[in-house]
Amino acid sequence: MAAQLFGAIDVGSYEIGLTVSEFSKKNGIRVIDRVSHRINLGTDTFRTGKISPEHVEELKQLLLEYRHICEGYGVKTYRACGTSAIREMVNSTVVLDAIEQQTGVHIECLSNSEQRFLDYKSVAARGEGFVRFIEKPTAILDIGGSSIQISLFNKDRLVTTQNLKLGVLRLNDALKMIDAGERRRDYVIKELIDSQLTVFQNLYLKGHTIENIILVDDYISPILQHTEITGRDPGYIDAETFRNFMDTVHRTNAQDLAKKLQIADDNIPLVYISGMLLGCIIEACGANMVWAPGVTLCDGMNYDFASANGFHAADHDFDEDIIACASSTAQRYMGLPERGQQIEDICVKIFDAMKKYHGLGARERLLLRIASILYDCGKYISMTDVGKCSFDIIMATEIIGISHIEREIVASVVRFNHDEFQYYGQLKEKTDLDPKSYLTVAKLTAILRLANGLERSHQMKFRDVKVRVSEGKLVITVPAGIDLTMEKGLFRHRAEFFEEVYGVRPVIRQTKK
Amino acid sequence: MAVQKTAAAEAAETKKAAAGRKAAAEKEINYRDPKYYINRELSWLQFNGRVLGEARRHDIRLFERLKFLSITSSNLDEFFMVRVASLKDMEHAGYKKTDIAGMTASQQLEAVLKATHDFVGLQYSTYNRMLIPALEQEAGLVVKQYEDLTPEEEAFVEQYYGEEVYPVLTPMAVDSSRPFPLVRNKTLNIAALLTRREDAGPSILRAKRGKKGEASEIDLAVVQVPSGLNRIVVLPAEEGKPVRVILLEEIVRHNMPQLFMHYNVLTTAVFRVMRNADLSIDEDEAEDLLKEIEKQLRRRQWGEAIRLEVESSIDKRLLTALQKELAVTDSEVFRIDGPLDLTFLMKMYGLEGFDDFKEHRYAKPQPVPEIPAGANVFECIRRGDIFMHHPYETFQPVVDFVAQAAVDPDVLAIKQTLYRVSGNSPIIAALAKAAENGKQVMVLVELKARFDEEHNIGWAKMLEKAGCHVIYGLVGLKTHSKITLVVRREEDGIRRYVHLATGNYNDSTAKLYTDVGMFTCRESYGEDATAVFNMLSGYSEPNHWNRLTLAPLWLKDRFVYLIGREAEHAKAGEAAHIMAKMNSLCDPDIMEALYRASAAGVRIELIVRGICCLRVGIPGISENIEVRSIVGNFLEHSRIFYFENGGSPEVYAASADWMPRNLDRRVEIMFPLEDPEIQKKAIHILKTELADTEQARVMNAEGEYERVDRRGKEPVNSQLQFCNEAVAAAAVATHKDTRVFTPEMAPSEDK
Repeated sequence: MAAQLFGAIDVGSYEIGLTVSEFSKKNGIRVIDRVSHRINLGTDTFRTGKISPEHVEELKQLLLEYRHICEGYGVKTYRACGTSAIREMVNSTVVLDAIEQQTGVHIECLSNSEQRFLDYKSVAARGEGFVRFIEKPTAILDIGGSSIQISLFNKDRLVTTQNLKLGVLRLNDALKMIDAGERRRDYVIKELIDSQLTVFQNLYLKGHTIENIILVDDYISPILQHTEITGRDPGYIDAETFRNFMDTVHRTNAQDLAKKLQIADDNIPLVYISGMLLGCIIEACGANMVWAPGVTLCDGMNYDFASANGFHAADHDFDEDIIACASSTAQRYMGLPERGQQIEDICVKIFDAMKKYHGLGARERLLLRIASILYDCGKYISMTDVGKCSFDIIMATEIIGISHIEREIVASVVRFNHDEFQYYGQLKEKTDLDPKSYLTVAKLTAILRLANGLERSHQMKFRDVKVRVSEGKLVITVPAGIDLTMEKGLFRHRAEFFEEVYGVRPVIRQTKK
Repeated sequence: MAVQKTAAAEAAETKKAAAGRKAAAEKEINYRDPKYYINRELSWLQFNGRVLGEARRHDIRLFERLKFLSITSSNLDEFFMVRVASLKDMEHAGYKKTDIAGMTASQQLEAVLKATHDFVGLQYSTYNRMLIPALEQEAGLVVKQYEDLTPEEEAFVEQYYGEEVYPVLTPMAVDSSRPFPLVRNKTLNIAALLTRREDAGPSILRAKRGKKGEASEIDLAVVQVPSGLNRIVVLPAEEGKPVRVILLEEIVRHNMPQLFMHYNVLTTAVFRVMRNADLSIDEDEAEDLLKEIEKQLRRRQWGEAIRLEVESSIDKRLLTALQKELAVTDSEVFRIDGPLDLTFLMKMYGLEGFDDFKEHRYAKPQPVPEIPAGANVFECIRRGDIFMHHPYETFQPVVDFVAQAAVDPDVLAIKQTLYRVSGNSPIIAALAKAAENGKQVMVLVELKARFDEEHNIGWAKMLEKAGCHVIYGLVGLKTHSKITLVVRREEDGIRRYVHLATGNYNDSTAKLYTDVGMFTCRESYGEDATAVFNMLSGYSEPNHWNRLTLAPLWLKDRFVYLIGREAEHAKAGEAAHIMAKMNSLCDPDIMEALYRASAAGVRIELIVRGICCLRVGIPGISENIEVRSIVGNFLEHSRIFYFENGGSPEVYAASADWMPRNLDRRVEIMFPLEDPEIQKKAIHILKTELADTEQARVMNAEGEYERVDRRGKEPVNSQLQFCNEAVAAAAVATHKDTRVFTPEMAPSEDK
């Protein structure tokens, strides 16, 4: 396969980055060009909900220049992703459309979980280093402009991930508003951080030891690549050395620090806040070691492109991380793991059997699995309004790796598993789903409903179920000797909806003794 | 045993005490004490003195001496327009801060003017007493005055005047209604005092300069000697007879009465004005830098007069009038005993028929062995890094590099910095062609390259028109680095080819200036080169650099670190040695680092062509420093730096000198020479120049330069040796290339 070029544009809150990379079977991913330019979009959005016209104009010019750079290398494929500053814009649809019309660059607005997932992938793309590091209990601290994401790993599997509104630009703005002055600055930052970190600590860190921290950020990571600061391999620093480094940072004036660290003066406050954030997380986790692989969102996009185009075989199963994350959420809301697993298995069997009829792909299969895991999480709030409560819980929960739209698909599927299905034209509540996505909701709901109906008794009767499509019917075969009176009774109503969606009638059959 | 212990302990104590004393002494030394430094302007004048020294050498060919004298003249002009002008500005502004040698601006100005008067005296004594007689006696070339012309010569000159000169003359009179005309910077002019002839009508050129009631009859007039005509007019002569020439100003002066028909010309004098040529551009405020510079360039012609050169025989009244009109002080007036502006000697050098009086030992630029003529430069670079030493080796591969890239279908982009380019640059033509061929071409044209601003504006406009993406660099910084990047799509992916150099992309000066350059396609250099152009385009700097070090952000610190590291090695008893070659050395931080390194025992050998503000031989401070300057057939221009590093030597080349302007206010690049063979070549350059006995001058403890003591040494002319070596290397390479057959062995008997 010939080498391919790909441009990745990160429309970040503080900097707009571009990488031009070459992908080949022989050399893997090779970053050829990497540029960035500072446009403080975040401060605009976080304060006013909009990006100022000057910044929009500057962004357009920059994107045109980035296009020019890409064209210079003969790049034909690109991906541009916007993060929190774009996400939190109230008029993002209008602005992004105007940008696309004038620059030809389509900016994809990433949800927080998608963004963090890409960051996470970029770390995981480091292969051996990542695998070795997460063998011990590890947290990934991903510091963004608007928020931070803390993801916890145990035995190389993602346990949970949480978003805290402690982004470096947000804190910097808060500091400016508080006008704490130089002397009380440390105290104020710590207060701001602790106010949110304490809750996280109580919920997720109690009784756990986190030995390692992986840092993804824009300000501390580049500094930690200097071995004279870390005293170790580039990117690695132990907790004690980091504390000493921060002591030096506190004692040094901004100008001298900028010179010493070879960074721009403007970045010093952000280095300062990022350092304090990392310091607080180290203390909260009791971590001993930090690894800052120095990756960016662009590296994540590159990784995605490589995987999608067969240039890179993933060492790590990211879908399983998403599933693990969903399971962890289900567990938090007292879901029954065995039943969830049973429904998931039946769902997957039906989905796979119906492949020719639904025209959906691996991604929708994953969404169905998530929906089946979270199928009744709303019971934690109300036993009588499970559908609505489940919907609300899912919409308010970070499930790393899925987009906002995908989250709404999952939430809707879970909701209509319990409630009467509302057709697109009948929707009374606001939705971000388009008709196509809504059709996916219908298709997945039909499967989940069927599976849930089969497992209604919670008796695990369908453990060894077999599913196939035969003569225009979905045949669900259950081993002999099982009493299916209740399931068959409930099945009719669910089967009708399934038949309505797919035009295929589901039937239950039992093998003969 | 006990005795031994005591002795060892004593020895240790003594050593400790000595170290303590040394540390204490080091602590007490104020390395910034002005007495340890030489003023940079005076040091520059010393350099020009060394060039003048070459003009005075009898063992140098006569016409080469003319060239050296001409160079001193153009050097001095530039020095006045920039450095003296800047001192005057500082004086006007009441700037009291002293320089590193402890002198205020006023003190410097006074010292510089005094030294320049002495220098000009020596220049003209060289011209009048040494060169003019030698030209006449040895070369048969006579520079004639008008009154010495034969009738035939006079007739020729008159005809020449009538046909060529008169039509382009513009006499300008001065009176109350016509102010003193704009006398353009550096032009040659003739001033005259006139009185109205009695037989003429009423004066239209009346200037009232006398006291009240004493109306003077004398008027002032000025005529510019046409700069578009050749200043040397060759008179007709029979073949084999001496060549006779007359200077254009002599012809104009003789015909002054014709220009002012109703007047008597009382007196005339040739004069020349030097003006402040510093551009004052507020880049932050300038919306379009190109337009702003164009505007400022027009103003340069009106800059403040800072030097007035007049013929030594000038009439006192005429001088007073000129001084008043141009507002120059007595010390700024230079009475010249001979023709003004000796740069015409360069034209004289070009006169045909005097080959015997020119230097021919220096061979023409030779082919670079690794890049045979007509070869694909990219293929050659792929075989390994290629080092070039110009002008001994030809600059043509660099031109070919861009020209081949322009037409190569696999080349995607070309990026280049341009500081000074030649008049009809093939590189510019190639860049334009590349853009026309659809390549992405980005060119940084430094519009602020002093005295090349107009040229560069022209290039910038032309390149833009051809479709190149032209940028003017970073606000407040001149981009002096010399770097070219070619991005090429190859079978195994994108490959970047980089050229880095110490000299400009100027194919003309590359024949006269000594510089080094390197081609590479190593990924680490390619990444850095890409980052350089990204930075120059205004994007953020990368998180780290693989190989290159850039000014103004990191280069000075890097040099100080490298020098300091040698000091640490010396203190630890390890091998420590610095060899550095540059054009000028006057950065205070670097000089202090060198003093400290010398005090720590580092051997420091410096080859500094021009300004050197550091002093040698100061006990405890610079005893280990040697400074030498080479002024030769070619202008020494390369910057090479060697650091022994405890036995793991590091060698670098750079576009920067050790000057604050390079390290603090310019974008410069230093690149390591890592290939062992290339390192050897660079070290060979340094060592050969350090062994030079013919063209080198060594600084003594008084800060003066003297010829190398040649006793017991093999004579070495480094530039000549490099020429010969290049010829030999090219011959070997050519031999390899032209070997088209191999002998077939005779069949063996037993077969």
